[in-house]
Amino acid sequence: MKVRLETLGQTTVVVPEGRLDFSAAADFQKEIERVLTGMSPAPAAVIIDAGALDYVSSAGLRVFLLAARAAQKGGIAFSVCALKPAVRDVFDLSGFNQVIALYADRQAAVAQVPPPRA
Amino acid sequence: MREARTAVAAEAAHLPVLTAFLQEFWSAAELPAEEAVAFELALEEVFMNVVLHGAPSAGATPRVDVSLALADGSLTMIVEDDGPQFDPLTLPPPTLTGSAAERPVGGLGVFLVRKMMDTVSYHRVGARNQLHMIKHLARE
Repeated sequence: MKVRLETLGQTTVVVPEGRLDFSAAADFQKEIERVLTGMSPAPAAVIIDAGALDYVSSAGLRVFLLAARAAQKGGIAFSVCALKPAVRDVFDLSGFNQVIALYADRQAAVAQVPPPRA
Repeated sequence: MREARTAVAAEAAHLPVLTAFLQEFWSAAELPAEEAVAFELALEEVFMNVVLHGAPSAGATPRVDVSLALADGSLTMIVEDDGPQFDPLTLPPPTLTGSAAERPVGGLGVFLVRKMMDTVSYHRVGARNQLHMIKHLARE
């Protein structure tokens, strides 16, 4: 799996591409942790754009949940957007639609980002 | 009727081998692509359960056999291992509610397998654990 980062003002967009299975989960987790806790200044918001994510298993879901927790702890707005139907099914079945803000596309996710901090 | 089988040692490094095995069967049988994820996910979850929790205390690595059988529009996947007796279907259902901070991180794997398959059953056959997973595939 490849992960690309994009910066939009104080928002960091994380773009994973491919399959988030057990084999890919550890590296993805490291990358997300770096974005959420290792950047200076910390981003005001982190959006995971899942438009190129083809597959997620429970090992991948775990990374999303840990990311949501770390973001909450760090006062960073966190959301996931553009889930493909097969991946969206896994999120919904797991009840993740209730703990993570999900948006149809990146535009909608960016529109919900709180205004910049002073 | 179309059948295939393979076997690997229960090591995480072999997960891509099993995924490729399933994907090759899928293209050879010309099965609908959108139905593949359910089986890929079930195979990963069940295999990784054996890898992470199925090793006997002696430290030997269990062997995992996977077989696929397609008949009358239904695909049956059997995942078999020679680890200690363990029925994953006895695991309690995961907590699906609560905030990100409250929710437990694990326990979703077997739950997802049950949700995605039509039928899941456990059998202890001799010294082997067998998990049978069956799903009817909608053909175009």
